[in-house]
Amino acid sequence: MASTETIDVEIWQGDANGGAYRAYAVPAQRSQTILDVVTWVQQNAEPDLTYRFACRVGMCGSCAMTVNGKPRWTCRTHVSKAGDGPLRIAPLRNLPVIKDLVCDMTEFFDKWVGAGGVFKPSTTRDDPIPAIDPSTVERAAASEAIECINCAICYSACDAVAQNDGYFGPAALNRSWSLINDIRDAGRTERLSAAAGTGGCFNCHSQQGCASHCPNLLNPTLSIAGLKRAAVKAKVRGEI
Amino acid sequence: MNRHDTDILIIGAGGAGLFAALHAQQTNPDLKVTIAVKGLLGKCGCTRMVQGGYNVALGHGDSVERHFMDTIEGGKWLPDQDMAWKLCETAVTRIRELENEVGCFFDRNPDGSLHQKAFAGQTFDRTVHKGDLTGIEIINRLMEQVLSRPVVRLEEHRAIALIPAKGGEGLAGVLFIDMRTGDFRFVRAKSVLMASGGGPTMYRYHTPSGDKTMDGLAMALRAGLPLRDMEMVQFHPTGLLGGEGTRMTGTVLEEGLRGAGGQLLDGNGRRFMFDYDERGERATRDIVSRAIYDEMRKGNTSPNGGVYISMSHLGPDHVREKFKGMVRRCDDCGFDLAGGRVEVVPTAHYFMGGIVCDADTRTEIPGLYVAGEDAGGAHGSNRLGGNGVANSTVYGGVAGDVMGVEAVGTLRDADEAVLSAEIERARLPFTLPKGDIHGLRKQLMEVMWRDVGVMRTAEGLARGRAALAELRDELMRTGLPSQNTVFNLTWHDWLNLRSLIEVSEVITEAALARENSRGAHFREDFPDAGDLESSTFTVARQDGSGLRVTNDPVIFSIVKPGETVLKDVEAAE
Repeated sequence: MASTETIDVEIWQGDANGGAYRAYAVPAQRSQTILDVVTWVQQNAEPDLTYRFACRVGMCGSCAMTVNGKPRWTCRTHVSKAGDGPLRIAPLRNLPVIKDLVCDMTEFFDKWVGAGGVFKPSTTRDDPIPAIDPSTVERAAASEAIECINCAICYSACDAVAQNDGYFGPAALNRSWSLINDIRDAGRTERLSAAAGTGGCFNCHSQQGCASHCPNLLNPTLSIAGLKRAAVKAKVRGEI
Repeated sequence: MNRHDTDILIIGAGGAGLFAALHAQQTNPDLKVTIAVKGLLGKCGCTRMVQGGYNVALGHGDSVERHFMDTIEGGKWLPDQDMAWKLCETAVTRIRELENEVGCFFDRNPDGSLHQKAFAGQTFDRTVHKGDLTGIEIINRLMEQVLSRPVVRLEEHRAIALIPAKGGEGLAGVLFIDMRTGDFRFVRAKSVLMASGGGPTMYRYHTPSGDKTMDGLAMALRAGLPLRDMEMVQFHPTGLLGGEGTRMTGTVLEEGLRGAGGQLLDGNGRRFMFDYDERGERATRDIVSRAIYDEMRKGNTSPNGGVYISMSHLGPDHVREKFKGMVRRCDDCGFDLAGGRVEVVPTAHYFMGGIVCDADTRTEIPGLYVAGEDAGGAHGSNRLGGNGVANSTVYGGVAGDVMGVEAVGTLRDADEAVLSAEIERARLPFTLPKGDIHGLRKQLMEVMWRDVGVMRTAEGLARGRAALAELRDELMRTGLPSQNTVFNLTWHDWLNLRSLIEVSEVITEAALARENSRGAHFREDFPDAGDLESSTFTVARQDGSGLRVTNDPVIFSIVKPGETVLKDVEAAE
C-alpha cells in the first residue's frame, strides 16, 4: 500500500566549483534509510544525481554523507534517526567533491599510507602463524582499534583536519596505533616517526569529533592519545 | 578517448584482484601493474562482505584431502577436481601469507593458536575467521599493501569490452568508461585478469553489493568465451525483507542465527521447517531456501511477502550479546531482532558458474586470465561456506604468479573496428527515447525470481526465456532522460541492466539444459540428482548463431564417485 505521507529533503548538487541544495518530496516508508531516500530521488526525480554506495549493510564505508550537519553512514541510518524536520543531505566535509554527494577519497587513503597504516611483515608465508594470546594488553589494544571500515566519517568530523589539511586525521592514526600494538609488526620505528611528525598525532586536540561520530563505535581519540605517549617515550629514549 | 598502456591489467579490486597485483609484482618487480575497478579500490565488491570465514586445513586431524573431499561432495561431484585440489592445497600457504605478510589478524584460541570454527557441510572445524567480519579484515589489510606499492589505480572505471588484437590473435586490451568524467579509456596490456566478481543481482532478492552486475561474464560471453555451470545460483535462506523501496532488502542475516536456535515462522506465526526436514531450521541452506519459497508460494506470508525469523525465545539479552553486529544492524534499520520478529526471504547470494579456465587461471583467449567469482569450476554445483574467499585469494595469487611470468613480449594493437563498435554500443542509450529503466530492472528481478529461481520447471524456464527476450527488446527501446555523461549513475544503471539480462539468458538456457537436481539447481520436474558416474556440467557459448549449451562429461581426474582420497584411518573417523 503506497503511503501518501512524504519526507521533505534537500540534497546538495554541484561539483568542485560550487553548488546548491535542491528540494524534493519523497514518499515515506516504514523501512527507509537515508540511502533509500537518495536512491528514490535519483530513480524518480533527478536522474543525474550522483552518490556512492556498495555493500548496503555498513561494511564498505562507501556511502558516508553529511546528514543534517553530521557525517553518517547512510545505508545504516534510518530516516527517523536523522533528527526532526526536513532532511538536508550534503557530501562529506574535509574532502574534495567530485560531483554532488561523491567525494574524492584519494587524500584520505594517501594519508592512511603516509601515517604508517600499512603492516610491515617480520615473517613470511613459509613460517608458521605465530601463537598470540588474545588477552594480552597489546593485543587487546590492537583489536580494540581494528574494526574500522575506512568510511572517512571521523575524518570529516575532525576540526583539526578542517584547520590543517596536512594532518593525517583520526582514521589513519587509529590504524597506526593498532599496528604499534601488533607484536608481529616490524615497522614500529618509522611508524612512530610518522606519528611524531608534522602531520602526526600532536595535531589532535582531543575534541572527540571522531569518537562521537564513528558508526562502529571506535574511539580514535583514545588511540591517538596512546600514540602521543608512545611517541614521547620513543623520543626520550632516542629511538626516533 | 584516452589510451593507457600497462604490462598487467587487473579488472576488479576484491580479494582476487588485489592478490594478483601483489603476486605479479613479487614475481616480476619490473612489470607495470594497473588495477581498474568499478568502485573504490578494496571498498566495493564482495570480499569485504564475507562474514563466515576462510576454509583451510591446518592439521590436528584435518588434511587437504579431507577439505578436498568436502568440496567435491558439497559440489555434488561437479567441481573441476584439479581446481578444487589446488584451492584446498594452496589455501594452507595463503592463510600464512595473509597473517604473516599481509597483516591480517584472525581470531585465536586462548592458547594463542588460530581458532577454526564449524561451518555447514564440512567434516572438520576448519573455518578461520575474524569474528563475523572476516572480509573487512582481509580486504582492509590487502588494500593497505596495494596502496603502498607502485600500482596504477583506475578507480570508478567500468570495464565494458574485451578488445581483440588486430588480426584476431589474442587480446589487445580492455575498454573502460571513466565513470567520473564519462570519457572512454582504452587500456592495452600484455596480460589481463578478469576478477570483477560475479554477484547474481538479477533476482528480486539478492545479497551482493550494489555495483555487482555480472559485467565480467557478459563481456566474456561477447568475446566468445565458454561459460560453465551457469545454472548454479546459490540462495541464502535468510535475507532481510524490508519491502521493495529499501536497499536493505535481500542483505544477509547470518547463518548462525538458525544454528543457535532461531525459528522460522510463517505469516500466521506457525513454525514450518519440521514439515520439510527433521533437522528443522538447521537443515542445509538449499533445503531451508526451498521450504521458505514453498511457504511463500502457498501464500503463508508475512506482510512484505516472506516469513519471519524469531530469536526472542532464546532471551533478548542473550541474543543481543551473542549476535551483537546483527542486532545492531537490524536496529539501525528499524527492526528488533533480539525481541521481535524480523521478516526474511531467500536471497541470491553467490554464483558458482563462470568462465572456463585451467588451474593456472588461463582462459581460451591468450593473454586473458580469470580468478574469483568470475571463474567457474572450483565449486561445481554448490559452494561451501568459507570456500569463497579462499577461492578468490588463492586464485588471485596464482593469476599474479602466472601473469608475472607470461606478461612478456610486445603490446598488441587493437582491432580498431571493434573498439569503435563497442563505444557506440555503450553510447546507445543516449540515442533512444527516454524510458523507465528502473521499472525494467524490477521486471527482470521479478522474472528471474519467479521463473529461474529457487525451484525450476521446464514450463517456468520457457516462460522466463520468453520474458527475458521481451525485456531485452524493451531495453533496446528505452533510453536515458539526459545527455549528461559525467558520473551519470542512470547511464550505468542502463549498462548494468544490459549485462544482467544477457547473463540471465545464459542462466535460463543452462537451467533448461540440466534435467536433474544438483546442489543449487533444483528442477521440480526432475527432482533426482541423476547418476553420479556419468555426471555432466553445462557449457554455454555464444557464437554467430546464438547461444549454445552443451553437457560435457565431468572428468574425475583425482577421485571417482563412491571413492575417497582419505586414508583409511581418516575415512573411518
